[in-house]
Amino acid sequence: MNPPETNDPLDALLRTQDDYIEDDGFTARVLAALPRRRTWVRPMLLLGVTIIAAMLTAWWLPWQNLSPFGQSALLLLNSPVLLPWVVIAAVVSLLVGAMAALQWDD
Amino acid sequence: MSFTDADLIARVLSGEDHQAFGELVRRYQSPMRAFLTRMTRGDSHLANDLAQETFLKAWQKLRTYRGGARFSTWLFGIAYNEFRMASRRRKELALEDMAEPPPEPAGPAAVSRSQLRLDLAEALKVLNADERAAVILCNQNGLSHEEAAQVLDCPLGTVKTNILRGKEKLKRRLSAAYDDHESA
Repeated sequence: MNPPETNDPLDALLRTQDDYIEDDGFTARVLAALPRRRTWVRPMLLLGVTIIAAMLTAWWLPWQNLSPFGQSALLLLNSPVLLPWVVIAAVVSLLVGAMAALQWDD
Repeated sequence: MSFTDADLIARVLSGEDHQAFGELVRRYQSPMRAFLTRMTRGDSHLANDLAQETFLKAWQKLRTYRGGARFSTWLFGIAYNEFRMASRRRKELALEDMAEPPPEPAGPAAVSRSQLRLDLAEALKVLNADERAAVILCNQNGLSHEEAAQVLDCPLGTVKTNILRGKEKLKRRLSAAYDDHESA
């Protein structure tokens, strides 16, 4: 709803003041000042988390019980010592991945 | 093919599309800069800085725009907030009433339409910030009183009062030239 039209000459005079201002590079300056996407943030976070999770897993692995060719990967995952750490590493990866995604939206 | 504001906003939100946002800036840069130039009493340098801040804030807050009001109304709201913050920083609000009033308009003999426009631009500087904002938004930019109340974040009655007071002051200020223009 627009203001009611009146015959008031002052209203007519005020409307004539609405001149167009040429862009004159203004839009380009605004676009140049917009924050850039931080394309490196998410991949670097995910890479860091993966490395940390891998190091933790390797640290806690019962290497002494493993012979080079004696046990399969399935047996490894059935180990009661290893399994909780695998779960923790997966949860941490998921949490940090979610945080990275949220930061991406900002 | 021209996109509506809603199309452009959707494109910006879906992929942070700078080009779509650029089109919105091109559409609204003129009314925002004109509004802020008048609010800053002709300081076009400050007005341009505030307009740039307005669009940067709009970019950051675009997800909060719900589409209930026109996009231009939402932008005017941000622009007015930027002006108020700048005024606070410069303590202009406190000094506003003490500001040197502009010179009296030229006498009737010298009045032409262009002179009348210049006199009006000077006369607008006499109004306080609330009156000036209400008059400019409603009488120059075509916002409804309800939209102006939304932009200025004040009750509808206050907007109407400010417009009445503002126009009375303008008429008094321009009376000599105004009467002559009416009779011409």
